Amino acid sequence: MLTSRRARAADIATYLAYGVICLFFAAPLLWLISLSIRTSAEVYVSDLRLWPNDPTMQNYLSALANPLFPTYLWNGLKLSIAGALGAMLFATPAAYALSRFRFRHRHLVMIGLLAFQMISPLVIMVPLYRYMDRLYLTDSHLGAAILYIAIAAPLFTWMLKGFLDGIPQSLEDAAMIDGCTRFGAFMRVVLPLSLPGLTSAFVLNAILGWSQFVIPFILISKPALQPIAVGIFNFQGTYIDTSTQLLAAASVLSIVPAVFVFLVLQRFIIGALMAGAVKG
Amino acid sequence: MRAAAGTAPDTEPRVLARPVTERPLVWLMPLAVLLLATYVYPAIDVIRYSFTDATLLAPTFDYTLASYEAITRNPDVADILRVTFIFVVASVLFQLILGLLVAMALHRGVKRGLRGVGVVRVIILSSWIVPGVAGGIVWQLIFNEASYGFLNGILRAAALPPVAWLSDPDLAIWSAVLANVWRGTAFSMILLYAGLVVIPASLYEAAEVDGANALQQFWYITLPQLRPILLINTILISIFTLNTFDLILPLTGGGPGRATEVLALYAYNTVFRNLDLSNGAVLAVLLLAISIAFTFFYVRLLPEEK
Repeated sequence: MLTSRRARAADIATYLAYGVICLFFAAPLLWLISLSIRTSAEVYVSDLRLWPNDPTMQNYLSALANPLFPTYLWNGLKLSIAGALGAMLFATPAAYALSRFRFRHRHLVMIGLLAFQMISPLVIMVPLYRYMDRLYLTDSHLGAAILYIAIAAPLFTWMLKGFLDGIPQSLEDAAMIDGCTRFGAFMRVVLPLSLPGLTSAFVLNAILGWSQFVIPFILISKPALQPIAVGIFNFQGTYIDTSTQLLAAASVLSIVPAVFVFLVLQRFIIGALMAGAVKG
Repeated sequence: MRAAAGTAPDTEPRVLARPVTERPLVWLMPLAVLLLATYVYPAIDVIRYSFTDATLLAPTFDYTLASYEAITRNPDVADILRVTFIFVVASVLFQLILGLLVAMALHRGVKRGLRGVGVVRVIILSSWIVPGVAGGIVWQLIFNEASYGFLNGILRAAALPPVAWLSDPDLAIWSAVLANVWRGTAFSMILLYAGLVVIPASLYEAAEVDGANALQQFWYITLPQLRPILLINTILISIFTLNTFDLILPLTGGGPGRATEVLALYAYNTVFRNLDLSNGAVLAVLLLAISIAFTFFYVRLLPEEK
């Protein structure tokens, strides 16, 4: 009896901790939403009120009516999908090789891939800007997409390799004994089975691409080509203090797609991330 | 363990008998070419540029050590490094502590089958999914010293004087740390939670029998068992934080003065604002060197694969 009462007290303490945690993590976003549904007059009221007296969706309509804003969203979507798709093309064969072949320095290749992830995109952008400029790839989605792909590919390979390790080798062996070539077995057996792994790696990398800032910020100066992360930064530069509620609405619009996709597919993604973390 | 792929009997003419798809290099080639072109060659080039007097405007340059000398004589650099050090160390420390506390609270909730654990986890992870720039804008609005600033609104409600969160040069860096901790904690939480799950329950049961209290269990079981993951976590978030500037740019722009200008932001400003390629390259080399050093420690901590 004593233990169960103690456990119940500890449960209450746990819920108190949850309350504090949720307050810290949710309050900034709730405040952002609160500002985004205010009229310009109510932004400057001095009492702390989460739900405004006169809530309005006008700020969202105004943000979307700005001819550039939908373009920013569209560009962000295009680049993040292109980056994740491209990374998948490069990562899938590499992950297959790392999972199925035993060759010298295989471990070293895995570590090398990890090292790429440690290098800041800013470092490589210093010289890349020059080459890209010479190749007419600045102010171009093609040029930016190549770098999105390069940045996503190492993480994609790691995640997928971990997933492929969990698919039994015997299935492909059986296919190959039945006369499939290795490439045939890869296409017909391995790829269909790795669909869940491909999906979670794709989604996570697409979300990371949506947040990507450094590459497009440096590479793309034409507003009509900039993705949303750069777009809201420019928005902040032009709108600040005169129309905070518009900036808040624009920021919400930049956050919602990423969080929505993440919420829908979170079990997938968290599972893949945690599996990778435990394996080390 | 299965035999190494492609070990054909030595009597066969190997090169001809083996289809190309049996060579791992063929499968790795596309990725290798991509990374050589976009990472390896540029990284080497950064080092080369650091020994020149190149600018983004002038097409020609000479080789010189002047940039390295200039960095050692530049009075700003000491400030930049101090700010970077505070930003990285404080962010990492708080992310680890908070991430561990949150992970333990969630772990306990899952073990006890408490309702609402999933919701709490989603709320924490949302802060991690928020794009860095948007996070910077959000916290700019939280710290704002106009009437719509959230924190000063709370202080006002409590009849306390307002605080200059972002315009006080001594305080601004800590405000940036708080914003970064908000965004980064979820990642530490994921790793540490995964570490907590795999600690055998029998260890705690044995400790319980021996009469160890919760604090002792934490100190003698949880922490030692988490040690490898804590170390790996520390290195990963140190590098991520070192390379961050998308959060700081909308938050403070590096100001007031240079109070929040971390190394990555300073390198960016040097190259792309002042168009000073050679001096910027030296800073990039510094970033690269720190990242590689951390990676080296990281690799030594990784378990050897069978």
